Amino acid sequence: MRLLSRAGRSLGRTLLQAVPTVLGIVVLNFLFLQLVPGDAADVIAGESGSATLESMEALRRQFGLDQPVLVQLLSYLDHLAHFSLGFSPRYNMPVGELIMSRLPFTLLLMVSAFTLSLVLGIAFGTLMAAFARRWPDRLLSVLVLVLYSAPGFWVGLMAIVLFSVKLGWLPSGGAMTIGADLSGWPAIADRLAHLALPSFSLACFFIAVYARLTRSAMLEVERQDFVRTAQAKGLSAFTIQTRHVLRNALIPVTTVAGLHLGNMLGGAIVVETVFGWPGMGRLALDAVMARDFSVLLGVLLLSSFVVIFANVFIDLLHAWLDPRIEAH
Amino acid sequence: MSSDTTRAASLPLFVPKSRRGLAALLLGHPTFAAGLFIFAIVVLLALGADILYPGDPQDMVGPPLLWPFADMEYPLGTDSLGRDVAAGLVHGARVSLIIGFSAAAIGLVIGTLVGAAGGFFGGYVDNILVRLTELFQTVPTFLLVIVIVAIGEPSLPVMAAAIGIASWPTIARLVRAQFRSLREQDFVMAARSLGYSDARIIFVEILPNALPPVVVTASVMVAGAILTETGLSFLNMGDPNLVSWGSMIGGGREMLRTAWFLTALPGIATALTVLALNLIGDGLNEVFNPRMRER
Amino acid sequence: MMVLTSWGGEAASGRSASVWRRSALAALLLGAAILLPQASPAGAATVTMVQATEPPTLVSLTNVATTALAVSAKVTEGLLEYDEKLDPKPLLATAWDVSPDGLTYTFKLRDGVKWHDGKPFTSEDAAFSIDLLKKVHPRGKTTFANVSAIETPDPLTVVLRLSKPAPYLIKAFAPAETPIVAKHIYAGTDPASNPNGNAPIGTGPFKFKEWARGNYIAYERNDDYWGKPDPKVDQLIVKFIPDAAARSIAFESGGVDFGYRTPVALSDVERLKALPNLKFETKGASYSSNVTRLEFNLDNEYFKDPRVRQAIAHAIDRNVIVKTIHYGLATPTSSPIAPGLAQFHDPAPSPYAYDLKAAAKLLDEAGLTPKDGRTRFHLTLDYNPITTEGRRLAEYIRASLARIGIAVDLRAQDISAFVRRIYTDRDFDFVVNGASNLFDPTVGVQRLYWSKSFQKGVPFSNATHYSNPEVDRLLEQAAVENDPKVRVELFRKFQEIVGKDIPDINLVSPTFLTLHNVRVHDLVTTADGAEGNLAHVNVK
Repeated sequence: MRLLSRAGRSLGRTLLQAVPTVLGIVVLNFLFLQLVPGDAADVIAGESGSATLESMEALRRQFGLDQPVLVQLLSYLDHLAHFSLGFSPRYNMPVGELIMSRLPFTLLLMVSAFTLSLVLGIAFGTLMAAFARRWPDRLLSVLVLVLYSAPGFWVGLMAIVLFSVKLGWLPSGGAMTIGADLSGWPAIADRLAHLALPSFSLACFFIAVYARLTRSAMLEVERQDFVRTAQAKGLSAFTIQTRHVLRNALIPVTTVAGLHLGNMLGGAIVVETVFGWPGMGRLALDAVMARDFSVLLGVLLLSSFVVIFANVFIDLLHAWLDPRIEAH
Repeated sequence: MSSDTTRAASLPLFVPKSRRGLAALLLGHPTFAAGLFIFAIVVLLALGADILYPGDPQDMVGPPLLWPFADMEYPLGTDSLGRDVAAGLVHGARVSLIIGFSAAAIGLVIGTLVGAAGGFFGGYVDNILVRLTELFQTVPTFLLVIVIVAIGEPSLPVMAAAIGIASWPTIARLVRAQFRSLREQDFVMAARSLGYSDARIIFVEILPNALPPVVVTASVMVAGAILTETGLSFLNMGDPNLVSWGSMIGGGREMLRTAWFLTALPGIATALTVLALNLIGDGLNEVFNPRMRER
Repeated sequence: MMVLTSWGGEAASGRSASVWRRSALAALLLGAAILLPQASPAGAATVTMVQATEPPTLVSLTNVATTALAVSAKVTEGLLEYDEKLDPKPLLATAWDVSPDGLTYTFKLRDGVKWHDGKPFTSEDAAFSIDLLKKVHPRGKTTFANVSAIETPDPLTVVLRLSKPAPYLIKAFAPAETPIVAKHIYAGTDPASNPNGNAPIGTGPFKFKEWARGNYIAYERNDDYWGKPDPKVDQLIVKFIPDAAARSIAFESGGVDFGYRTPVALSDVERLKALPNLKFETKGASYSSNVTRLEFNLDNEYFKDPRVRQAIAHAIDRNVIVKTIHYGLATPTSSPIAPGLAQFHDPAPSPYAYDLKAAAKLLDEAGLTPKDGRTRFHLTLDYNPITTEGRRLAEYIRASLARIGIAVDLRAQDISAFVRRIYTDRDFDFVVNGASNLFDPTVGVQRLYWSKSFQKGVPFSNATHYSNPEVDRLLEQAAVENDPKVRVELFRKFQEIVGKDIPDINLVSPTFLTLHNVRVHDLVTTADGAEGNLAHVNVK
């Protein structure tokens, strides 16, 4: 019950704090619109390889670009006040619908990468702490450092060469095999096969981060008194590690994980391009290239909400992990 | 002067009193030494780029798509236009280091100023700056960099500025936390009672003591800046007049099946450099925080 | 977060464990919902086309991005289609007649054609479409400029009345270029925002089924197609794969069946040619030939002097460009009219052959001697970012001009900034650009050299700001000249003058290849190849 009421209060506070952030994002997006050279009509003319004065004017009228700057800003804000993300004249559909069509893929990629990185990271970190300073620790440390240092998309490219080109085990891109009559278990297997490499590329760096964090936090905690007490009580090493040490070590890990969630969208841009993954990272990039600011704003807002709510979730997780911590 | 003694008292313990001290330091931290060594090699190669491979690395000098070691005149092979891969790697090192350091410097300056102002003054100044920091943190970093580069044009200074502008929030949070704890300490009260101005207190008294974790983070920022530049150049948003490791990876992308060394070699170079920087960062962390040393 | 549920510990954990179990179950269900795709009917004959990027719309009415042209004709047809030599063949029109004075075009339309929503196709639709295209199509205004009236004497006849002859007009009716849309869908609406652009209704062999944004478009067989028993496939899927290497892999593994405009990286073509399950086709690319050129800003202080332009022309070797940048898949051309438009193309070589000494001499004569012994002056070179070859060509030009003492800096930008810089701000020295000749020089080439087409803010108009009254006269006459022989001569003189004046240097015409799996047959039957309606395609 306490947890629930805490959740409610956190949520309320968060929503209130979100308002200035939302306004800030709208203003930022708007500044981009003014400062970036060229507009959506230029893009379409460039892609078409042809244009006339009338066609350019018609495009600008359609996109609302012939309106004075302040009117455009006010129309943004007006849409937001009505909880609508506006309409994209380039894609000719509501921004919300456009985002919804790409959101499942982004969620799939981010959740799987996140889960993979936490699971592998914590597992590696635990192993490294358990064998501290002996050869398994040293070996894993080197591997972890390489994962930390190599560009994620480059690891993805090398993985394509190995697993896709040389071994032929995994597909080299896309989210699924389209047009094939798959359903049930083969369909899930197909999707997972397509997910494996992009997910791993995105997760690489974070596996290393969590592994290092877990290792240092566990070694730190192990020296504390309550662990010696548990040992004196005669609890097995395994129980001590998992029940007590790991649980406390997870606090810094989850804090950092929460911070990273927001940045996953940025990192996903390059991974999505390498693997042709139809996610929101590429949508955001396309929106910048196409000067489609309603779509860009929609993606930015969504990303900021994800970050804000992830932080609330992390706070609650901390409160559950260590009741001494007051969720503030 | 009282500020000198307090400053000396809070300096980290590692300042080597003799050359034997420095050698002992390096021996005691082998990974730190390894990182410094690798990084020194990269820096030397970058500095010597014009001596080792004079001229423009973008010149088409040899037959295209030679594999490494096939022709010892081009020991690391050539790309699809016949450009020497080794020349590209060496000149690319220069680009990566310049961008890495300048972007980190910009981020450090902005972040330190914002964090110091917020941490020291508190109140509504702090409130506004914290909101600003949060705003920049919720916008995906890479996207922000792309937009800033689109506003300017893809050139080295613009990219460095863009990466710096996108990365200051981390430093700001760190510096703010440091200032908030340090401003309550005795030496600050002493300085105030002596009538020192705010500016003097911030820059002369508190800042030097706040620096250790910032220095550690700086090495990570350089690494992050190099990785971001690699991503940008890979997406063809880099400076077209320069060869960088990212542009080499991007250029080799379409030949992934047959000439995958074009992608592998610059990636390895990037990974090694970033690795070295991370080892240096870890080493500095161990040295500044001896509590964290393991059993 | 399975790790977390394994702990017991405090009393609260019992309840939280069940919360975790329920959340895990919910996550699994959500994952299953995301993972399970819709299954398609078993045993369907499916053919898959690959495109690098997604089109902004599925009907090339107000937007003629090449990505839109690729898919439009499958659903929305045109009055005519054309064979390899650009001679018209029937499609929605079964017979056509051009009066001897070239001012009256009569089209007899096909009977019994229905729109995908069941309504009949009549001359009202054809007339409405041409009128709409004249108003909103990016090229329609110029293509149909001389059309002063459109009549529909009966439901199967449409007559175009022209104020002046338009000798190119009969070639303009390919389905992707001049789409015939339904009047009952577009009348009274804003054509750009009409939802038909996202879910089109047409007369074509394929019906629109589904568009998964960023992923693929699915079309299904139109069982009531007028060209029965066509189409011979049940499903057409258009897949978007932005990475060139991934496209190669998709072709090799059979993940996609065909693509056009050379859908793989040029460096990969040789390797793929050797594979037994793939075939390259040069036909089916004659409706739209491209020319890559180096355009000078004639308002620039250096390029005002023709000697500087000539020197640069002497310093560029087109054969090297064909070989190293296009991997042999291009034809050198010093004429703005591509070799693909064989009727008009003048194969005479440029008066400025590759000769570095001549180049240096011209620059010395122009008074631009090397200051520090090496560099004469500096220039900035922009390049159109839409193709990958653009940047490589710019790099080659930089290297070439370095040899005659001109230091060149490249400048990169995305397409929006590029268009703004070149055509609105005119803030450039010279630029690597390309444009399509389209189906006739008057439609594709005139806009680049006609002084009256110079308009700030209009992309792909006269970027150089070239103005030559004799060229204007030749172009204006050729635009309305009915006699084909006279027209050829007019264009020959035009090419000669422009070749001498060199407001721009025409370099090469890229060869566009269509790549398909050997199981696909009858893919290329018209001049526009895979850009056509694909009614005859079948798979074995």
